[in-house]
Amino acid sequence: MSGALFVFGRLARDRSALLGLVLILGLVLSALLAPWLATHPDDVFELHPAKRLRPPSAENLLGTDRMGSDIYSRLLFGARTTIVIGVIAVGAALLIGVPIGLVAGHYHTWVSDALMRVSDIFLAVPQVVLAIAIAQTLGPSLPNVILALSVTYWPWFARLVYAETRALQKEVFIESTAAIGASPFRLVALHVLPNVASPIIVRTSIGMGFTILTAAALGFLGLGPPPPAPEWGRTIAEAREFLPDAWWYAAAPGLAIFLTVMGFNLLGDGLRDVLDPRIRRSYAEAGDG
Amino acid sequence: MRRTWLRSVAMGGIVLAALVVVSALALSVPAPAQAPTRFVFANESNYDTMDPHAAFDVGRVAVRLNLYDGLYRWLDNPPALQPWLAESHTVSPDGLTYTFKLRRGVKFHDGSEVTAEDVRYSMERILALKKGAASLFATMVAPASTKALDRHTVQFTLSKPVAIFLAVVPEVHVVNSALLKKHEKDSDWGAAWLTSNEAGSGSYMLTRYDPAIGFIAKRFPGHFMPWGAKYIDEIEFRMVKEDNTRVLGMIKGDYQGTGGYLPNDQVKRLREAPNVKLIEQESMRIMMFQINNQRPPMNDVHVRRAISYAFDYDGFNKEILGGSVERNPVPIPNNLWGIPKDVKGYTYDIEKAKAELAKAKLKVDRPLTVGYLTGFSQTEQAATVMANGLRKAGIESKLTSELWPTMVERMKKPETSPDMVVYWISTYYADPNNWIGEMFHSGQWGTFKASSFYKNVKVDDLLDLALKSTDRKVREKAYQDAARIVVDEAAGVWIYNTKYFGPWAKSLEGIRFSPIGNGQEMRWVYYAQ
Amino acid sequence: MRLVALVLRRAAWFLPTVLGLLAITFVVSRIIPADPVALVAGDTATPAQVEALRRQLGYDRPLPVQFVTYVWRLLRGDMGTSLFTTRPIVDDLASRLPATIELTLVAMAVSIVIGIPLGVVAAIWRNSLLDHLLRVVTVSGLAIASFWLGIMLQLLFAMRLGWTPLNARFQGFPPPGMTGLYLVDAVLAWDWWAFAVALRHLALPAATLAVPALATLVRFTRAGVLDVMQSNYVLHERAMGLPSSVIVWKLILRNALTSTITQIGLLFGILLAGAVVTETVFDWPGIGAYAVNAIIRSDYNAVMGFTVWAGVIFMVVNLLVDVAQGFIDPRERAS
Repeated sequence: MSGALFVFGRLARDRSALLGLVLILGLVLSALLAPWLATHPDDVFELHPAKRLRPPSAENLLGTDRMGSDIYSRLLFGARTTIVIGVIAVGAALLIGVPIGLVAGHYHTWVSDALMRVSDIFLAVPQVVLAIAIAQTLGPSLPNVILALSVTYWPWFARLVYAETRALQKEVFIESTAAIGASPFRLVALHVLPNVASPIIVRTSIGMGFTILTAAALGFLGLGPPPPAPEWGRTIAEAREFLPDAWWYAAAPGLAIFLTVMGFNLLGDGLRDVLDPRIRRSYAEAGDG
Repeated sequence: MRRTWLRSVAMGGIVLAALVVVSALALSVPAPAQAPTRFVFANESNYDTMDPHAAFDVGRVAVRLNLYDGLYRWLDNPPALQPWLAESHTVSPDGLTYTFKLRRGVKFHDGSEVTAEDVRYSMERILALKKGAASLFATMVAPASTKALDRHTVQFTLSKPVAIFLAVVPEVHVVNSALLKKHEKDSDWGAAWLTSNEAGSGSYMLTRYDPAIGFIAKRFPGHFMPWGAKYIDEIEFRMVKEDNTRVLGMIKGDYQGTGGYLPNDQVKRLREAPNVKLIEQESMRIMMFQINNQRPPMNDVHVRRAISYAFDYDGFNKEILGGSVERNPVPIPNNLWGIPKDVKGYTYDIEKAKAELAKAKLKVDRPLTVGYLTGFSQTEQAATVMANGLRKAGIESKLTSELWPTMVERMKKPETSPDMVVYWISTYYADPNNWIGEMFHSGQWGTFKASSFYKNVKVDDLLDLALKSTDRKVREKAYQDAARIVVDEAAGVWIYNTKYFGPWAKSLEGIRFSPIGNGQEMRWVYYAQ
Repeated sequence: MRLVALVLRRAAWFLPTVLGLLAITFVVSRIIPADPVALVAGDTATPAQVEALRRQLGYDRPLPVQFVTYVWRLLRGDMGTSLFTTRPIVDDLASRLPATIELTLVAMAVSIVIGIPLGVVAAIWRNSLLDHLLRVVTVSGLAIASFWLGIMLQLLFAMRLGWTPLNARFQGFPPPGMTGLYLVDAVLAWDWWAFAVALRHLALPAATLAVPALATLVRFTRAGVLDVMQSNYVLHERAMGLPSSVIVWKLILRNALTSTITQIGLLFGILLAGAVVTETVFDWPGIGAYAVNAIIRSDYNAVMGFTVWAGVIFMVVNLLVDVAQGFIDPRERAS
């Protein structure tokens, strides 16, 4: 507990990490308070064809889209989709990847080789391609996007935890605990996991950013939730045919994505600096993504 | 230490600067001298095959129109059938035998003469390959029934009298049978070879082809139709996928022509471009929602009427499409004969929609699937407008998109087809049968036009009568009666008839637009100056 | 010795891993609801014709049989035929590979030439204004959705300013070539107009692709240089009184460059993944766009072909990187 306070204290002094927290808070608040913050909450499904493609004005803060709906309001509701995708996909990837990494790291049998090679398989193809394939196969929808993203992201956690676990095994305290005869489960849960927690936390934050970018790419390709869902990536795809005149239509959702991912990246960077400078080296091996 | 850093940064900078300078110099070198009079067309789909019998669609019509000839050809608007390779034809009194007299001295590009044997071979080839227009001919002409009576007379024997045979005969593109026989492999009718080559007699000869890029063709001076005083020496048809790129390219002068069914916002930009002229013509291309008439609850006429009242026609046609299209309430284009002029069709009226739902025996208790085409944002917008109207009427819906070939495949069976699908039906031949006939005859189930899966014996009889008779008045009345029934039964939702807004370089003259062909027949066109 | 063990273990796992990759892709591509055989048969085919085609292509046999047939053909270099282009997939990939290579090489060159010096500079002047600025810029670079960046670049440079074309690799038919890399072919043909056209078409996609690679490279180089600078070895050298320029140039840069080898492996991954989206946005006729189109069109043979190719290349690159890393710095754990 005191460790957490210590972390927060150090973090608070890092200005960019603080900025990251602010941005993330902004995203969460936009999503939670969307019905109240939005000027035209009905525009999530309402159409006003006579008002289409209007530039930003007092009535429509970020202008209107091709159906005349308010872009600003739709962006706020799109934040909900973004958070849901990010949290569930990364959460699921974590729940799958961490145990696999722990098992693979702890044991030195062919099982751990096999597990790592399985994760290699998933890493062999660019994540984006695999996610596209899965989303296309299952059909464009919100749950399928989440599934596709978690299935393609878990290897990052697995490899990270595997590398850290192996490194820890060389530490004296682990060797001695094992020598005493502690059960593997106890060993891993009580001694390995707390020490692996830091890199996991850092990767979670970075993973959120990365997952949101990939989710937006899927939405852009039409593989995300179908219309009239106000998903940010899809909105950018819609806006393309109206360039260069209605440029705000494409710029706004892209900026929203940018600020969101920036927030998670800055927070992740700050956490990394605070939690363990050693992580910098080990992440160079596990790779960034 | 600082100097070392500056050194390497400077080195990197110099390398980049060198690249920039080189390209700047290169840019100042003028473009190489172009071949005398070139024309470049930006096409929205790609030319994945040069075989005129493998495709029947509007997207690749440039190949068929420019490299090949048919017995007759559709020209101008309203479309009229002109003798082309054939000088004339006669029909037997029972309507089963069509005999065509060919022009003499017509040459293929390799110098050999076009004979009746080539025409016979071409028809057999179409039927054998079973692609493109084969589905149309297969119902009328049996394999091995076509005869070359002599060197310049060819005879088609129909299996039953069909009024539209003449209308579709232009799709028999005549190929060089001797050349194809030379390149035949494993009895493939030369298909593998013809995918990337040509065996035609048309106004232009293929010189270069790449399925990922497009094709280039040069003028065939020996074409049987006399050339005007001015003409274009070399034509290039290129695939350029994005609307925006095609529009920008037209404005910059990179292309001298492109497809005329652009979104209204793009058309506006082209109108303002100084070196582009827009040719506006009423075309024949209906946009509609095909409703799956077999699947509950759409098999209840009241549900279908409710759907018809739920679409905001004016909002879509006037606002979203900026008035660039005409409301077309009946499944026959406004500008074609055969329409019952008194039928006004459905309007956007949510109250009426709810009233119809109340009368329905089947309740709508599940979301309806509204299918649209991936990559065609107008269909996406139409689907969104429909979903919005349905929601107001109390019906939930789910949007689903597929690529066109995938959607065609889904629409072949009532079990796999969505509850409703929005797309266009273009002019394959200028006859009401191209629309209402192929859309609502129960014998057409399984084709992409008949995804309404509509079955009404009375309508079938009327459509059969119209196909059999050659009397225009009889046919007209039959189509009008059939249209009245189909509209009353709300078998589909018919939105608009397209206007063609063709962007062409201002200096071009002689463009002849026809709803079949869309102006892409380049032999008439020339640069004025 | 450990190195040899590493290579042997990896080699032993190579084949099963590739097979595993193939199996997963095979399963994923076969459980799609659409029927690509019907797509090939065409709009106008009857169900009987579709079935005949299915039998002819061998898609009616049980899945495991199809899989074995596929692997057997693969070993003989036959990836099958693309359902969509009706050409052998090996030919499709080969004809599209140069486009991706050219784009990736240009992006990589730009990233390396700009990124490494910047990374070193940031490390040396740590915590200075420049360092902070670079940190913001690199974090931003990694936070931008590359498809959005591409679109915004198109908006500014192609649409508003007209300095570059909107997309595609060339205008019309490209310079006749041996390498398939238009820049090289244009130079070899002494066609400077074609060179300029190709370069202008490369500008935006290469810039879009380079941004995340550049950002990553700057960060990695900075971290690597910092590591080395703080290592005991270097401190010892400094204490010994070697002149700073010698230390920096010889030791730090060399060490930073060795970690670049790891980074190239990483960079390759980032660039290939980025290429997929960037090629789609810019209509670039490369392998990435081919993969996306193949997936969306349910062209399963093409999807498997791409996966095999990408997977094998990745695994080879990873192995080489690990070997190189282990070779250069035996102190580093082999993971």
